Amino acid sequence: MMERAFFIDYSRCIGCQSCVQACAECDTHRGTSMIHLETIERRDSVQTAPQICMHCEDPICAQVCPADAIKKTPDGVVQSSLKPRCIGCSNCVLSCPFGVPKYLSNIDQMMKCDMCYDRSSVGKKPMCATVCPSGALTFTTMEEIQRTRQGIPINSWKFGAEEVKTKVYVMVPREVTRVDVDLVQIRTTAPALPKDPYDVALMLEEIQ
Amino acid sequence: MARLPVDIPTLVKDFGPTLHRIPAGGWAHTIEDEKLVKTHCCFCGQQCGIQLRVHNNKIVGFEPWEDFPFNRGKLCPKGVKRYMQDEHPDRLKHPMQRVEGKGFEAISWDFALQRVSSEIRRIQDTYGKDAFAILTGASLTNEKAYLMGKFARVALQTANIDYNGRLCMVSAGAASKKVFGIDRSANPWSDIPKAKVILVAGANIAECAPITTDYIWQARENGAKLIILDPRMTPIARNADLFIPVRSGGDIGVFNGMLHVMIERGWIDRPFIDQHTVGFEQLAETVRKYTPEYAAKIAGVPPAMIVKAAELWGPAPTSFLMHSRGIEHHTKGVDNCIAAINLVVASGRIGREGCGYAMITGQGNGQGAREQGQKCDQLPGMRDIANPEHRRYIAGIWGVPEESIPQKGLSAIPLVEAIHDGKIKGLISICFNPAISLPDANFVREALEKLEFYVNIDFFLSDTARYADVVLAGSLMEEDEGTTTSVEGRVIRHRKVVAPPGEAREDWKILCDIADRLGHGDKFRYASPREIFEEMRIASKGGVSDYFGMSWERIEENNGLFWPCPEAGHPGTPRLYENGKFGHPDGKAHFIPIEWRPSAEMPDEEYPIILTTGRVVSQFLSGNQTRRIGSLVDQYSQPLCEIHPRLAEKLGIADGDFVKVESRRGNVVVRANLVKTIRPDTVFVPYHWPLDRSANNCTIRAIDPVSNIPEFKTCAVRVSKVNQPTDPIAMLEVQAGGIQ
Amino acid sequence: MQKRIFPVTGSDTAHAMRWGAIAAFSLIVGIFLGSRGLRDFDPALVSYAGACVFTVFGLGYRYAMWLRRPPTRLYWYRGWQIFLEPRHFLRNAVHLGRIILRNIVLQRFIEKRSHLRWTAHWFLAWGCILAGAVTFPLSFGWIRFETAAHNQEIYRALLFGIPVGSFHLGTWIAEAAFNILDIAAVMVLIGIFFAMWRRGRDHGAMSVQQFSNDLIPLILLFAICVTGLFLTVSTHLMHGLHYIFLSQLHAVTVILTLLYLPFGKFFHIFQRPAQLGLDFYKRAGAEGPQAKCRRCGEEFRSQLHVEDLKTIQAALRIRYQMADGSHYQDICPQCRRKNVALIQDGLWKATSMSERGLL
Repeated sequence: MMERAFFIDYSRCIGCQSCVQACAECDTHRGTSMIHLETIERRDSVQTAPQICMHCEDPICAQVCPADAIKKTPDGVVQSSLKPRCIGCSNCVLSCPFGVPKYLSNIDQMMKCDMCYDRSSVGKKPMCATVCPSGALTFTTMEEIQRTRQGIPINSWKFGAEEVKTKVYVMVPREVTRVDVDLVQIRTTAPALPKDPYDVALMLEEIQ
Repeated sequence: MARLPVDIPTLVKDFGPTLHRIPAGGWAHTIEDEKLVKTHCCFCGQQCGIQLRVHNNKIVGFEPWEDFPFNRGKLCPKGVKRYMQDEHPDRLKHPMQRVEGKGFEAISWDFALQRVSSEIRRIQDTYGKDAFAILTGASLTNEKAYLMGKFARVALQTANIDYNGRLCMVSAGAASKKVFGIDRSANPWSDIPKAKVILVAGANIAECAPITTDYIWQARENGAKLIILDPRMTPIARNADLFIPVRSGGDIGVFNGMLHVMIERGWIDRPFIDQHTVGFEQLAETVRKYTPEYAAKIAGVPPAMIVKAAELWGPAPTSFLMHSRGIEHHTKGVDNCIAAINLVVASGRIGREGCGYAMITGQGNGQGAREQGQKCDQLPGMRDIANPEHRRYIAGIWGVPEESIPQKGLSAIPLVEAIHDGKIKGLISICFNPAISLPDANFVREALEKLEFYVNIDFFLSDTARYADVVLAGSLMEEDEGTTTSVEGRVIRHRKVVAPPGEAREDWKILCDIADRLGHGDKFRYASPREIFEEMRIASKGGVSDYFGMSWERIEENNGLFWPCPEAGHPGTPRLYENGKFGHPDGKAHFIPIEWRPSAEMPDEEYPIILTTGRVVSQFLSGNQTRRIGSLVDQYSQPLCEIHPRLAEKLGIADGDFVKVESRRGNVVVRANLVKTIRPDTVFVPYHWPLDRSANNCTIRAIDPVSNIPEFKTCAVRVSKVNQPTDPIAMLEVQAGGIQ
Repeated sequence: MQKRIFPVTGSDTAHAMRWGAIAAFSLIVGIFLGSRGLRDFDPALVSYAGACVFTVFGLGYRYAMWLRRPPTRLYWYRGWQIFLEPRHFLRNAVHLGRIILRNIVLQRFIEKRSHLRWTAHWFLAWGCILAGAVTFPLSFGWIRFETAAHNQEIYRALLFGIPVGSFHLGTWIAEAAFNILDIAAVMVLIGIFFAMWRRGRDHGAMSVQQFSNDLIPLILLFAICVTGLFLTVSTHLMHGLHYIFLSQLHAVTVILTLLYLPFGKFFHIFQRPAQLGLDFYKRAGAEGPQAKCRRCGEEFRSQLHVEDLKTIQAALRIRYQMADGSHYQDICPQCRRKNVALIQDGLWKATSMSERGLL
């Protein structure tokens, strides 16, 4: 089989939480969901977005881990913390540029998305990308994604001055080559867009 | 004597809803001796393929079924957690009868069936055959739906059988039948991504048909423009090219206004209209006055939106229109749908690849359950119960005299009204939870209390079953087998995964047993659902929904077959109306001019706000199944009243406050959720919850004259801030209707 | 304080070699002194003692190397700094006792992961500790047993040559003392049984476990226990049959395990106490000022931790300084997730709006 990769298109997300529910069904962390699903700002919008581990080439979570508890498999999957080592300090939780790792206080340990290693290591799709009804989360071949999507998949990021390369791709318009997170958006829409674009009252104002 | 035997907190304590969180055998399970059974989700009309994991004869989880072509492994959260209703602590495992002051006590099947049949006899002997009614459901398999209709007409000989598809598909079905001549989505879903413009009217696809989202997004990747009509900005509306925040009940304004502009600018397919349709001139005459300005007043939106919609829809090379309850749940539900379909036919974009129309069925077997003869006016194969020829054919199949088949009975709402009036004295219900799902819930509860005898077949003690004299423990979808017909018109196989627990029985066996005790056993001798299917297949022969050429084997081999499939080698019919051949005897589509008219209850001084109701993604219909699954309840635990901050400010309401939403019929007390994504003249409350948290306490018992669908989507209310309730119902947990 | 922690200068290897050598030398001195100038040293156990010296070198090396990592180094200093704070020393000491009981003795945090895992780990850990508590001092010549001069029936235990107790042959104490290693071996075997049971059935564990890291340690412990129990069997049931061979075989398994100790999974035994230091760090953080997210304004972590992370990131050359002069570390994880999604969605919205001529 052709090698498959993980592609995220946040803008497709409909917030149904299938991914959250299905994540908890995966055997490496059964009963505990590892994926994040954010409601951006319900008052202003219905926008939601999932976040799985991006599986960085040089994971910052592993670099800041004092216990050397975060390891990457040869196939590039960054695993949950090694249970004997993790001391529950949350350095990874706070340092991950994508805000991925979860600290579980009851077991005093970090856990995170491991791309459903029990599934993906034997050629199956991760749970979330299998069930996702919107295609916001997709696990397929590069050829297939290029054939079916308008945008292009990229995996280069810049957070401040820190460049990050990830195993997981994100769909962006064709002209984009890297996602630069150099300004933090305080508002719920991009600065270039109109303010409150989803306020139905404003849409209707024309007739009042 | 259909009254609650004890108070509600006691019933909740004994029968739930209890939240089930951990699968059978625990989260850490073994991988040995596990089998996977390919079947389908029990919930909505999308009927997604899913595999259930079985260990030690218990369902312990699920596995996506990626080869099933409709959903290719995709599932919504309900599908993911559906297996949690198996091995559930609330599960009914034996027949029970009501004991005043105590609740329900277990009884033997023999005693239960004896009591049910003697009560049916007594009531029918005393008050007439039609005094015993049947309410059935659209989540039953085709086989069970067929059996319910036959049971009513042959075993009970009552005219009064109707089903909860009356709350769901009847407006769309009636409209399709009137214009196209056939009541079915015209196209398979595979046509959606090929369309260049998609119009979605009154369908919260992201929450009520989530799997369809990917089809629409795929169309957009292929360059399609997306138009959405909804009083609320739904998740797919956020990305639409045009979102029209139409006032609930104002859709005809948009449709007629669009057609007006299309005619004016020449964006209609004249040759197609001339060749394949009738009635266009009257339609054109009617929409002449629907200028964008006039139409916009009806729709409650800026005229420019209607023009823009026409500009997107009119000249497109291919298109797809779909709608669901948002435009159907109205006293003009049929008219709303016809006005929408007129747009499709006028553009000539139907019956071709990438050109089509679909109604999005809500319930699991919303399509199939309305074909097999459990509607008050239909016999199997969508046959007309008033048509002598149709009656003769079915009488022949059933081996009964034609005159013994009753005539058309009451539809669901009039049926409940007849119970309230004391005209109907006895009721058997299955797969229907009217205490939550019907409008004007206080009236419905009053009606239930007036029944002399009520028997309910269910797997959990539903909110309605609490009123029953006898409760018969039936079966879950995965505890029986059969077929359903999905939103696409695709007939698919549900496999039996496990046996019903304890003494619970397959629903069809229960019905056959009752029929037997009523002396009609010879007409109900089936060894398995497959035998029912074989009879149903023949009964449908020559009808509109013709299953005659299908077999369970063919259905399995082909991952489903689309009806009509009239003979054994027939490949099925995924796309209807190819080459402009419509379902009417003249082969043409029939345009019907539609004039807008107001809803039964419009906002006024006293009740100035529109209440509209709907669903959330994590709950299904009356919640009898999904309010028992812990992780689904966690996702959205109690109903919230969506209200625009501008309206909230006027009313002095802050986010999270408790508010009373009050109509002339009743009220619901819920927390406010301030969102800018709803029209400021409208509030929204989802309806899955019971008692004081039931949005249907407010809704109006007004029905469409043609389809008899209730007007769930519009009624007039006032909204005010109240203190947090502390009564005994409020003290219950959220899934039971409380706020804890 | 921070100036003392960073930057880390000099060669890592040389530094670690130095600490390895110090540790090994300390053990040699300890053996010499503890065995009263080798008078109490049992020459039969010299191979064990030798392996220990090498192991201690390895542990010292690895530990020093570990502490060179900026995050570890910072926590090491912070932990001690907070623990030794004179004002709170008493309180801290009491708390230390409590968390040692909870985390090291009872290992309750493992119980919450899974009962099976906890059962396995508890038996493994305490079997090993029990065995180690006897065998290490014995091979170092720190304790020895002798019969009392006046009574052959009485056994005396001497620690560093000082009598610390005595017991009568035939009492249960004697039985326990003579069979303590068998008891430990049985405990470890029980632990191995549960661990293998779990690893053979838990689908999740099976998919992430590695032979070298997760199974080798269990195999080594199994070998030690079985060969050790063979010695008992040989002595008591088989009149010493093959005793010499078996004792050599046992020694080989033990020495292999000792050599593996600093490098494999067992190193966590020495890393784990860092969790105790962290407990103090978290308490100190919670009592101090809290950092507020620059995007949502909510408190998300202690100021101490956020500032320390910036120091660690600087030491690791992770450049989170933003264009507007702010620092990405001041954004809470949830806002980071929202922000990334907003940026991506904004790219699409901007594209579609410019296509429609709206921008």
